Amino acid sequence: MSGTADASKRGALQAALAALNAAIYGYGVAGAHLPTTSRETAQQDWVQHQATRDTLETMLTSLGAQPLPAQDAYRLPFPVHSAHAAVSLAGYLENQLAAAYLGLVALDDARLRAWGAQQAQACALRATTWLGRTAAFPGLSSRASRAGSTASAQPSRSP
Amino acid sequence: MLAATVMSVPLFAAACKGLGALGTPPKPLPDVAVLRDAISAEQVMIARYSSVIAGPAGLAPALTPLLGQHLEHLATLRSRLIVPAGSQAPPQPVKSGSAAPRMPGTPAGALTALETAEADAASSLVSRLAVVSPSLAQLLASIAASEASHALLLRQHGGVR
Repeated sequence: MSGTADASKRGALQAALAALNAAIYGYGVAGAHLPTTSRETAQQDWVQHQATRDTLETMLTSLGAQPLPAQDAYRLPFPVHSAHAAVSLAGYLENQLAAAYLGLVALDDARLRAWGAQQAQACALRATTWLGRTAAFPGLSSRASRAGSTASAQPSRSP
Repeated sequence: MLAATVMSVPLFAAACKGLGALGTPPKPLPDVAVLRDAISAEQVMIARYSSVIAGPAGLAPALTPLLGQHLEHLATLRSRLIVPAGSQAPPQPVKSGSAAPRMPGTPAGALTALETAEADAASSLVSRLAVVSPSLAQLLASIAASEASHALLLRQHGGVR
């Protein structure tokens, strides 16, 4: 395994971890504005994301990298003062996360590609549950999906 | 003028030897075969949806948005496949009643058949990620995620009917 390949893995895993930490924060905000039944769903998703964060941190540690810590707070993409906005935020967070996981799919590592694809799929399923609709290209902008070899999904540092 | 004449001599010589002088085209990358298969699979999926939407099951309002996303998948996959002149022809549209499987006539049966087809299509795409370029792997993983979410929506739709 070359040093460059390991550096690429570490970079993509740190980016996924950063997106995941932002999503975990965002789910906390969304949960505060949801009615009881939806809040339970948000809590289940939040727990799933925390478990995945543990897995990502273990992956990074095994590569000799120090997992980057979560920030104290993240800037939200839009104001969240209602249940409707909270549901939109959950869907938005899942799409941002899917983009970060597609960063792992671009690595030259079959195991990480499969894992990243599995996580992106889980994001799409959660987003569909929240929004009641599907996306043609979860985690990819329509422009990126058509951009050929230049397509490269980048995670957002803040939800 | 002199420069133009000198430059044209090697080109003229190559033309006299015929196209064989240009050498054998390079072997296609694995991306090409995977793209062709993905395009064919999308065409069959579109034929399935079109068949159910045109049938008596009354599912057009629910299925038309999903069909639209499959058409987007197909257009994007096709845009990634550049077919040089004289090489193997690109996949052709599936004709109704030929390669497209016959779909059940009842709403419940049609929804179940589509759900199964979507789940299988998602699994098939993910199984080929290891052999393609990074960019195509991302596109296929994204399409697989879309198709898995279609399966979820179809299951939910079948449950509330």
